[in-house]
This record gives sequence, C-alpha cells and structure tokens, in this order.
Amino acid sequence: MNIYSYIIRRLLYVIPVLLGVCLIIFILFNVLSPDPTLIMLGKHASKTQMMELRAELKLDRPWFIQYIDIVRSTFTFDFGRSWSTKQEISEMIKNGAIPSLTVTLPAFLVSFVLSISISLFVSFYRGKIIDRSIVFVCVALMSISSLAYILYGQMFFAFQLGWFEISGYESGFPDFIPYVLLPILIWVVLSVGPDVRFYRTIILDEVYQDYVRTARAKGLAESTIMFKHVLKNAMVSIITYVVIRIPFLILGSLLIESFFSIPGLGGIILNAINSSDFPVLKAMTVLSALAYIIFSVITDVLYTIVDPRVRLK
Amino acid sequence: MKNEAQKSKSLWYHAWESLVSDKMAVTCLIIVLAYFLLAILSSLGLVASDYAKEIGPSYAPPSSEYLFGLDIFGRSVLAKTIKGTEVAMSVGLVTGIISMIIGVFLGAVAGYFGGKIDEVIVWFYTTFNSIPYIMLLVAITFILGKGILAVYLALGLTSWVGLCRLIRGEFIRHKDREYVQAAAAIGGGDFRKIFKHILPNVLHIVIINFSLQFQVAIKSEVILSYLGLGVQGRPSWGTMINDAKLELARGNWWQLAAATAAMMVVVLAFNILGDALRDALDPKLKGK
Amino acid sequence: MKFTCIGLCLIAIFVTFPSCTKKDNFKGLSLNLAVSSQVKGMDPIYANDRYSSNEVARVYEGLLEYHYLARPYKLVPNLAESMPTVSNDGLTYTFKIKKGVMFQKNEAFGSEPRELIAEDFVYSIKRLADPKLQGLGWWLLDGKLVGLNDWRKKYSELPKADYSEAVDGIRAIDRYTLQFKLAKPFPQFLYALAMPFTFAVAREVVEKYGKEFLNHPVGTGPFAIKDGVFKQTKKIKYVKNLGFRKKKYPCDGSEKFKKEGLLEDCGKLLPLVDRLTVNIIEEDQPRWLNFQKGKVDFIAIPKDNFDTVIPDAKNLAPDYAQKGIKLIRSPSIDVTYTAFNHDLKLFRNVKLRRAMSLAYDIDTANKLFSNNQALPAQSVVPPGISGHIEGYVNPYRATGRPEQIAKAKELLAQAGYPEGKGLEEITYDCPNATVSRLTGEYFKKQMAQIGIRVKVQQNPWPELQKKITTRNIMAYGIAWSADYPDAENFLQLLYGPNRSPGANGSGYNNPEFNTLFKKAAVMQDSLERTALYEKLNRIAAEEVPWVFGVHRQNFVLRHSWLKNFTNSDFDAGMAQYLSVNKAKKEEMLKKL
Repeated sequence: MNIYSYIIRRLLYVIPVLLGVCLIIFILFNVLSPDPTLIMLGKHASKTQMMELRAELKLDRPWFIQYIDIVRSTFTFDFGRSWSTKQEISEMIKNGAIPSLTVTLPAFLVSFVLSISISLFVSFYRGKIIDRSIVFVCVALMSISSLAYILYGQMFFAFQLGWFEISGYESGFPDFIPYVLLPILIWVVLSVGPDVRFYRTIILDEVYQDYVRTARAKGLAESTIMFKHVLKNAMVSIITYVVIRIPFLILGSLLIESFFSIPGLGGIILNAINSSDFPVLKAMTVLSALAYIIFSVITDVLYTIVDPRVRLK
Repeated sequence: MKNEAQKSKSLWYHAWESLVSDKMAVTCLIIVLAYFLLAILSSLGLVASDYAKEIGPSYAPPSSEYLFGLDIFGRSVLAKTIKGTEVAMSVGLVTGIISMIIGVFLGAVAGYFGGKIDEVIVWFYTTFNSIPYIMLLVAITFILGKGILAVYLALGLTSWVGLCRLIRGEFIRHKDREYVQAAAAIGGGDFRKIFKHILPNVLHIVIINFSLQFQVAIKSEVILSYLGLGVQGRPSWGTMINDAKLELARGNWWQLAAATAAMMVVVLAFNILGDALRDALDPKLKGK
Repeated sequence: MKFTCIGLCLIAIFVTFPSCTKKDNFKGLSLNLAVSSQVKGMDPIYANDRYSSNEVARVYEGLLEYHYLARPYKLVPNLAESMPTVSNDGLTYTFKIKKGVMFQKNEAFGSEPRELIAEDFVYSIKRLADPKLQGLGWWLLDGKLVGLNDWRKKYSELPKADYSEAVDGIRAIDRYTLQFKLAKPFPQFLYALAMPFTFAVAREVVEKYGKEFLNHPVGTGPFAIKDGVFKQTKKIKYVKNLGFRKKKYPCDGSEKFKKEGLLEDCGKLLPLVDRLTVNIIEEDQPRWLNFQKGKVDFIAIPKDNFDTVIPDAKNLAPDYAQKGIKLIRSPSIDVTYTAFNHDLKLFRNVKLRRAMSLAYDIDTANKLFSNNQALPAQSVVPPGISGHIEGYVNPYRATGRPEQIAKAKELLAQAGYPEGKGLEEITYDCPNATVSRLTGEYFKKQMAQIGIRVKVQQNPWPELQKKITTRNIMAYGIAWSADYPDAENFLQLLYGPNRSPGANGSGYNNPEFNTLFKKAAVMQDSLERTALYEKLNRIAAEEVPWVFGVHRQNFVLRHSWLKNFTNSDFDAGMAQYLSVNKAKKEEMLKKL
C-alpha cells in the first residue's frame, strides 16, 4: 500500500471516531445526566420558570436532533452559550487557551529537555548506583499527590521565601511571566518523574540492540554512540509519546490553575464542573477529543514515514 | 499441550526467582502486603476502629501522646491515615479488577475473532480514548452520584483502554500459534481456547498492568476528593489532603504530611514492584 | 554533573525574570480587592449571586441604596431625587429621579452624552420580566406589579417581547417621574429597588450589543470597566468614571462609625480612588497569603486561620497588629440550619424533630466551625432586624448538657423510636465545600449519641438544589443570607405555599403559621407587624421545623492603609466609599 492511500484511509477513519465521541458525549450529558434547569435558576426557582427555560434551552426537542446538534458543533465550533455565565463558549475557550498554554507549553518543553537529559545521563551509568538512585527519586517524586506540591510550593516558595508571585495573572507578554513561573516549576516536577522513567526504558531498549554492540566493537566513543545512534533511533518512540500529549496541554491543569488564579481552560472546566455547566463541559470534551484525534493522525503518519513497516500492519 | 503448561510454569518460576533476588522489589512487595494487611485489619475493625473518637483538643500538634497530631475534631490523624488505607487499597483493587475485566474481555474478543468484531472494538476504544480522562470521570460521577461505588466505577470504567490494546495485540500473535490450533483440533470451542489456552499465556501482561493501574487509582482518588466527587462519610487520604488545603496556612502540616507520606510509600512501592514484575515476567515488554 | 547544571540554570533564569518586568508608576490611588468566586458577567438581570451583583453595582446604579454608614440598615435615595411618595392604599409609589445624571460614554450613544431618564427604569424592569431573557431576579417582582405578569405571559409564547407595549404597573409619567403600581401590598418593594436586578441600563447599549451586552457594562455608576469590555479573567480592572455625577461621601451616620472616624471624608466627591482591581482568587490559601503580602486591601478571615489571627477570640495576634492590620467584626444577617424534608412522614413527628434538636450541641459546633464567634440561632430570624426576639431561648436548643441528652432520648422514645430502634438511617446532604462536609460529620456524631444513624452525602451545589427541589432528600445542611433586611425574607422559608421549587425547601406546612405569615407579609412596618413576626418566630422555634444552627459573624481584616472600610451585608456599591492612604501603604508594605 502506498503512503498516500494510507494517509487517506487514516483520515477517513477520523469520521467514525468523531461520531463515536459525539455519541458518548450525547449519552453522558443529554441522556443520563440530571435536569439542568434548576442549576440555572438558583434558589428562587419556580415551576413555570423551569418549564419556560427548558423550552428556551431546546431541551424539549427529540434526542436525535440533540445528537445532531453536538455533531454539528464539532464542525462549526459553535457551542452556544454557557448555562451558568451566559458567555459565548467559543469566546471563553479562545480567551482561556492562551493563559493555559503560557503555563503548559514552557513547562512541557522544559520537562521534555530536562527528562531527556536526565535519562541520557542515567543510561550512561545504567545499573550503577547513580542510575538506580535517580530513578528512585523520579518515582518518589511522582508518588506524591499534585495537591501536596501545590500547597507546599505556594506556601514556602511564593509566600515565605518570596521567590514567586503567590497567585494571579496578567495577560500580554512579558507581564504574565512572573505569575507562571511557580506553576511551571510544579508542572515540571510533576512530569519529570514519569517522563524520565519512560525515556530511560526506551533508551535502554536501544542500548541493548545489536547495532550498538557493533558500534562499540568498532571502538566508537560511548558518547558518540549515545547521541548519534541511540538517541536518533529512540527518537521515533519518544516523538510519538510526546506529540500525542500536545492536545492535552491546552486544557491546562485544573488544580494548578485554580490555586494560582490563572484564567485558563482548567479553571473554566473546574467552574463548569462545580456549576454543572453542561454546554461548557461538552464543548471542552468535543474540542479536546478533536485535537487528540488530529494529533494521533499526525503521529501515525509521521511514524509511517519514518518506519514504513508500520503501514503493513 | 503439556509442553506449553510446563513452559508457562517455568516462566512463572523464573520470574519468581528473579523477583526475590531483587532486594528492592522484595521490600516493596512486603510494603504492599503490609498495606493490604492493614486495610484488612481496619475493615475488620481490629485497628483504627476508634478513628472517629475525639481523643484530645482540636488541632493538637504531633507529640509523644498524639503521634501524628489531631485533626479539627481532635481525632487521631494516625488512626485516620490507617483507616484511609482501607479506602485506598479497596479503590486500587476494585478499580484494577473492573478495568482488568473490561480490558481483558474486549481485548481478547477483538484479538481472537478479528474481522468486524475487532473493528468495532477498536473503534470503541479509540473513541473512548479520545475523550480526556478527567471529563469522563466527571461525567460518570455526575450520573452515578456520590460514594465509594461511584469512585470505583468511574475510575474502573475510564482506565481499561491501555490493557485492552495490549491484550488484543497478544491475542493476535497467539491465536495462530500451534498450541491453539492443536486445541482446536481436539475440539475446543472458542470460549475454551480464549480462556483456557491463550489467556494463561498473556496473564503476565495483566498482572503488570494491574500493579501499575493500582497506584494510578490511588492517586486519582485525591483529585476526585478535591472536586468533591470522592469517597463520602469516612476518612480517605484524598479527603485528608483536601482538608489540609485549609489548614496549611495556619501551620497545621501534619494531616497533609501523614496522608501524603502514607500515599507516597504505597504508590512508590507499587511503581517499583510493577517495574520489577515487568522485568521479571516479560523483559521484552520494557519499552511498550 | 552537567545535567544538574542545566536544571539549575533554568531555575536561575526563572527566578531572575520577575525583576525584568516593568514597574507600575501610577500616581493615583488604587484599590485592590479579592473575591472568592467567579464573576459570571455584568448584566444586572443575571446577577443572582453576591459576587456578580457586587461587580454590577460598581458600574450600574439603582433608584435606592443602603446608607453606607447607617445601622440598622436604612434605604436612602441614589438615582432617585428623594424617597418616593406612597399613596394612601400603599399601592402606588411615585419617584422623582435626579436630573442631569449621565450614562458612561459608549459608541451606542454616538457622540452625544446620554442622560438617564425615567423611561430607562421602565425599560430595565421590563427587561427583568422579559421571558426571552429569563432574568434570574424575576422572583423579586413576580406577581407584584400591575400588568407585568400578563406582559411576561403574553410574550413567552411570541417570538419577541415588545417593550413599547405599556404596562400599568410601571410608567414614566414625564422625563423625570416614575410611577409603580403594585398588584397587592408588598411592603418590601423598596428593597427590590436597591438590588442590582433593578438597576438602570440603557436601551441603546442593550440593543447594540445584543447577547454580548453582559460584557459591555455601561451604567451611571462610580466606576467604568477598563477598556469597556468585561473579560472572564481572574482580574477585573475598573477606572474611575470621570463623568460621574457629583455624589458626595455621607456626612451623617451611626454613632459607632463617627467614633471610628469613618466620617472624615464627609463631603468629598465619590469615588475616592482612581483605579479598582478585583482579583478572583477561588482557593483560600492563595487569597490569605496574598492579603498577608499586602496584595489585597481587605479579606474575610478564612475559618481555619482564625486561631492564628485572633488567638483569644477577641483581639488580633500581636504580629498582625504590628503590621497595622485591623480587625472588623459585624454580625451577618443570616441563619444556618439543618432542614428536614417534611414530606416524609418521619419528620412530621414533632417529637423526633425536638429530640434531634436536643441532641445537637450548638456550643461545640460554634466552637468548631465558627471559632465560638457566631450567635447560636434560637429560631429563624437573625438579630439586627425586627422580629428577632432578644434574650429568647428556644426550649429545644441544646448546649450539650447531659440532661438535654437525657431529654432527647426520652423524646425519641416517645416519638416511637426508643434508642433509635426502628428508625431508618437518615441521609444528610450537604454542599461540596470541606467545611460543609465537616459540619455534616459533626451532625452525624451528635445524632449517634442518642442512637440515630446518619449518613453524610456531599453534593455539588446544583445537585443539592436539585435534590431539594425534587424533594428527593431527607435532611440537609444549608444557610440563608438575607436578600433584604426584613424578617419576611426569613419567615417565608417556612411558609407552606412557598414549598420548593419555592424558597421553602423543607416543605414545612403549618396552617397556623401560614395564616399569620400571610397577614404579616403585606403589612407596613409597625409595632403590630413586629409582634406578628415575633409570634411567627416563636412558633418556628418550638416546632423545630429545622435544627437551627447559628447566625454567623463576619470577621474582616484590613490593612492600615485602607480607609472608610466597614462591613456590610449589602455591600453592593461599597467600593466608591473606600480610599487608600498611599504614603502609609508604601511604609507598611516594607513591614509585611
């Protein structure tokens, strides 16, 4: 099969998956979940008002049409308005995506570079005590709850030592920088553990391959082998692992954003959860699923270009 | 057939040998077993049954009398932490079992039968996997309401995809092997082939996955508690850490520290044990 | 080693970065506030929570407002020239509105300044009633104004409401005269006019921005939103409204405030600050830490920080006092309670209710959850408004004494459940907040003393509301804060016909109470009405429709540089009176 027909086939597969995502969202939020009109009317709700509102929100229409609406929204990006804030959802997402990314993107890059460096470093000393202890520390770091990092980090680094802003956000470069430093640091600490562990196994997998042995037999320097051969070959797996995580960056982190008052999508999701704001939750789900699907297509295609064997499967 | 059984027995035997030779893994195994023991003892009411009792002043700091200090109601943080073990271990266990059942069943069926059935199942898990974990979690708890049952189901229903994928791959590899064909020749049905013959050969994947799943579930319980969707009416590490968000600024660090430490130890032990199990059972799986 | 170096370098870069960002050289006065919940938008008709309505009230104004420095709370004219003239039958209210009040500049008005006229109020109030908009303050006027309900009903079936159709209940007699006709006596009507729901908006702006109106606040108020657009961020910035009418800081007030020097700014033009920043900080820890660093000017003390801040429950801890931080305390007009669902036969048994109330030690609850600073509620009406009975002790109010427990057990036996035998497990539902859960656990513990089993269940707020409204609930812990300072607002919570989805979530229905309430609710303020209110309050106490909780106190800390601050339950519009001593701020910031 040639590569173009593979790509086309892969792209076509997006359609059933997207429809499936819409179906799951529809079942979860439209069919199974509780009546939302009460949420919106608050403590002085009356029965007639609830009926009026149901009609106004078009919740009284047949299910089939409600499903079609969800499908349509994935293409038009018109998600309507939030039930709780009455804001245009696409506008909320647009405004929230950038603050989230100002935290997650640098954090992602830093933790990527840092974890690759650390895992290369430990692969040099594989099996030695330094390798084992670094891996141990990494696993230990990821065994602590993120909430604990946030609480302690904010208390000690921001408040007592005064190294960072306690919380808040300013839009526009470079005004936001002081506010995102501690969140980035916490994110990095949280993700370095699992990343190092993962990259290390990938790198070690390569290290034990025959070609490495041959290279070593030829008398090449260990560092040349590491960077020129091992890292290059490991990159395929590493990049697949990395690319597929990009779409989730946009969602930010619920906990970090809420503790550091960053006006990102994580905070929007949290507020939506607390106020049962279904349209917002639906929109976020649709959007991140869409991003995930697109990025997984990209990864697959990249992968086949690099390694043609995959296509045959 | 006999040959296969022997082979698999020796696999387990070797794995066990290599596991016990790793001191770290043995320590971790002991830790995990100790946690389980504690959880069982506490659910039988043999330890920490008095966690709800007021034994001193509100927020007494740790001392020789109150080992881990006291909480707002003057309850022992130590007893609460122990009681929390019960929730943590049961969440890990039940969640692991739920995701194991779904993952193994769907993966096996898809891999074994192939064709249309396979396509549908692959479509289903690809779809499922596209939705962010947190959204599914929230939606499921919205529908199921609160309580430990909802926590089990929410975490279990959202964590089977990885295992399902692996099992499906293994079944595709195994189904055309000689031993399976031999089983077919002597008249074994599909059901028998799946569960009696192929499954034992892929069991190690299930075990490794289970041990890693376990600790993810324990950590997720904290997030659910923060969202107010967690366990109700009895102490859990999640609620303890969540309570601590109010306490830390006034200098009460012990509740947070106790719950965090208790959680860290068991999660760490599970992680290391999982790695060791993987190395022992299936060295070639390392990079996956 | 070089890898750790990379790590260190990265951290070093991060840490030095803040110093590169630009310094603020603003010369005027700026005020920094912190609120604990998201602000939805700036449309008055949707401002149904305290946070959103406070933001609305910075930009918009109403006919009346609460006097900033008068306690008990008193209504005074704001956009109205004076208090209205009321017809003899108490049904017609005529307002003169101030002349020469201008809306803030906006494209919608073209280049002309736009004066506020009586017709704007007619429009704004119809907007609240518009069935297409589903304004969240409609309950306030539902059935109150002549013809308004018919107008609403008519257009709920038509595609669009016609604002030009006259409604008898609300008319602009001339450019500056506004007349309301009530459908039935409603003595609380004037309070409605001080609530942000009824604040004046301009038709041109609403029509220009359509659904986006909620992000384009244009009012007559003291502040204007910076850049004219409200964005849903965690920081809302306002600037002084330069065209604000000549509104002055009050020169009269309660004795207490005179003594505290709150009248020093008498006669100064409002608002007193040039900039106002509202920080939305949802978590307690960062809000508290920000206050301590002087990033916000005042803050309500988070419950759990109380002991460190006020160790002896009276005075501020010395290290805070040294920093110039001041404590302001004031009673809040509210009541917390555990309601029973009276639809269940179980809870129609008054002896069971009394037994449960007697088992609940309010003093310990006060200590645990309110730092011993709240006032145990004897009944439903809080102190500070007429209807509250000073010194009254509810015979079923318990303080944890053994004889009360004994009595509770006895009553429980009389109720048919000796030692709790035969009584099903009671589910106690509460909101998600950590404190609510702890309160629930306390309730459970107290009930266990007399053998009643309780299960605590947390819910997100909407979920809880749903359970209450659909009456799918047994008992729940909740609080009610006053919409306006009148006992009617509290007693209605027990009025049978108000059963949920109305405000009476417990579904308590007592014919005697209902008749008396119906009578009192339409009376003008008088001794007779107060007597009726007290009688109702007493019935509520002895019937124990709920296990009463406490009337809370507000504890607010402010920094030394913040001037004119006082606590209020009706704090919409407060920011215009606040001021900042800039020199002092610079000096004190060094100490923090």
